[in-house]
Amino acid sequence: MNFWQLLSYAAWGLSALMLLWMLADAMSVAKQYDEEYLMSSREGADELTGQ
Amino acid sequence: MAKEYIPEKQSGIGQIIDSIFILVLVYVSLYIPLLMKADAAAEAAADAPKPTWESLQLSPVVQEQWVKLGYDAEKAAALINSKFDYTIDPMMLLLTAGIIIAYFVFMLKASDKEYREVISEKFGDK
Amino acid sequence: MSNASTSAAGSERISMLKVLNPFHIWALGVGIVLVGEFMGWNFSVAKGGAYGSLIACWVIGLLYTCVAMIDSEVTSTVAAAGGQYTQAKHIIGPLMAFNVGLYLVMAYTMLEAADALVVGDLMKSGAAALGYMDLETKPFVVFTIAFLAWLNYRGVFMTLTVNFVITLIAFLAILVLFIGVDPTHSGTILKHKELLTDLPYGWIGVIASFQFGMWYYLGIEGTCQAAEEVRSAGRSIPLGTMGGMMTLLVAATLTWFICTGLMPWQYLGQAITPLYDAATLVGNTNLQILLFVATIFSAVASANGCINDASRAWFSLGRDRYMPSFFGAIHPKYRTPYRAIIFLIPIAVSFAFTGLLDQVITFSILSGLLGYTFMSINMVKFRKMWPLGSIKRGYVHPLHPFPAITLFALCVSVYFATFLGYGSTLLSIMGFYIVASIWFTIRRYKFVKRGDQFTMPWPRPEGY
Repeated sequence: MNFWQLLSYAAWGLSALMLLWMLADAMSVAKQYDEEYLMSSREGADELTGQ
Repeated sequence: MAKEYIPEKQSGIGQIIDSIFILVLVYVSLYIPLLMKADAAAEAAADAPKPTWESLQLSPVVQEQWVKLGYDAEKAAALINSKFDYTIDPMMLLLTAGIIIAYFVFMLKASDKEYREVISEKFGDK
Repeated sequence: MSNASTSAAGSERISMLKVLNPFHIWALGVGIVLVGEFMGWNFSVAKGGAYGSLIACWVIGLLYTCVAMIDSEVTSTVAAAGGQYTQAKHIIGPLMAFNVGLYLVMAYTMLEAADALVVGDLMKSGAAALGYMDLETKPFVVFTIAFLAWLNYRGVFMTLTVNFVITLIAFLAILVLFIGVDPTHSGTILKHKELLTDLPYGWIGVIASFQFGMWYYLGIEGTCQAAEEVRSAGRSIPLGTMGGMMTLLVAATLTWFICTGLMPWQYLGQAITPLYDAATLVGNTNLQILLFVATIFSAVASANGCINDASRAWFSLGRDRYMPSFFGAIHPKYRTPYRAIIFLIPIAVSFAFTGLLDQVITFSILSGLLGYTFMSINMVKFRKMWPLGSIKRGYVHPLHPFPAITLFALCVSVYFATFLGYGSTLLSIMGFYIVASIWFTIRRYKFVKRGDQFTMPWPRPEGY
């Protein structure tokens, strides 16, 4: 197998790893934290009042 | 204060259905035209006689650049001869313009109606 | 004592971090857009010839200058993650905001797909230059998207600083190439005299080329997506955005000059990586390597910014229930809109896989164009509903309503330009937004909390 084929496989492999990591992390966050807390952010205007 | 509208909370299944709907919409309306174009491009066959550098009548400098780019006469001819057709079909132009205008008008009107509900709930009825 | 981040019950709210300064804004704006000089702008040469492309570059530059002016005013006054989406909620209404949110998601996701497509194609060219022919592009396309999504998933600050460095390198590469083609000695490397032709389609071709003239600048309005995370929005956003426009005008003109002096217009009109191709024609291996690296950097910086912006727009839609509320979540550790980031990955990947760069770019351009049309209407209403002095504005743009009127008129010309040659793409995009709008009105609006749509500390608008 030459360098380029190796590089291609590495690209596929790393991509799969990162995608799976994100999915796994998202699922573990859902288990650990209350849905209400995760959704609790509010659109902000406090930034401007301080100017 | 206008009576506060308490929206229903959406179930998990409902959310999944809506997520799938929007994904399907993206793929159907945007992806399918792409696939049709890819087919059409692949179908465009070359029936004309094989072109040569002489038949293309390019200046020496221009021809030199084509060659540097790795193009032979046949490949270059494919690009040189594919031209856009800008003849305007008045019906299509009217239809397209009509669709865009209708879209914006519908959007502004419907939004305004919803917006007044937002304002009257936030600030109270006048 | 209570502060803005605790609710009445005293429980903590989650929010995104405020760590960005004007250079980050410049990097976000230019970083998304500079790739447009390395690929895509040249499709305007196919539509109208080399001179058509140059005219388009400057006319559309005017369009975007209006966008930058208007955008700076509204965004510095409405500092929220949703950017133009939030503006639409406050000035026109929920359905418009829903569409604007979609414009943003689609424009940036398609641009991201185009970026990944270019990286894949460049890897193939690079391998070919080194002797390995027909390298499969798909693994590199997926890797680009997966890696950048992963970076974005993990946090904002790091990715924008990275953006700043690689954007700078890409811009400097254009300058180096410009010097490298010996511009003062016309004819030695650059062959404008022989390569520049008359307008191949006449003046209608010039108008037609406006469509891809958009690509030189599309995305600069993305600076306002970061508004919720900026330390001082009123100052940073105008500074960063205007600075970005000036950088882009310079880069666009140089790019045109270099490429039209080296390649026949019919080739240039369909090239995937015009600046890299220009460098290969000069014959200097170092220049070729530099442009290879710079093209990859610009595509990566752009895709990075796009994931950033698209995911924040999708997140905002979810937070307000315009889309399923599931997407309105922020990661407790990384403080990013992580579910939106994940959801958008398959869309980007599948469009990048088509390999049809001009079509994917056109979807992005049209979504952006619809957004700019909205922006011109929005600006007029904004000044009517909240006249100068009635609310605190971070920045007030001059000469209103001329920028808004100019912007509207130029947008109309670009719809017409797209109709010429890409009419079916135009219709399919309109179909998408029309069906989505109907769906929103019938199905989604009932989940929306009415009064909560208005989050700015402004008084009741005039006329309502």
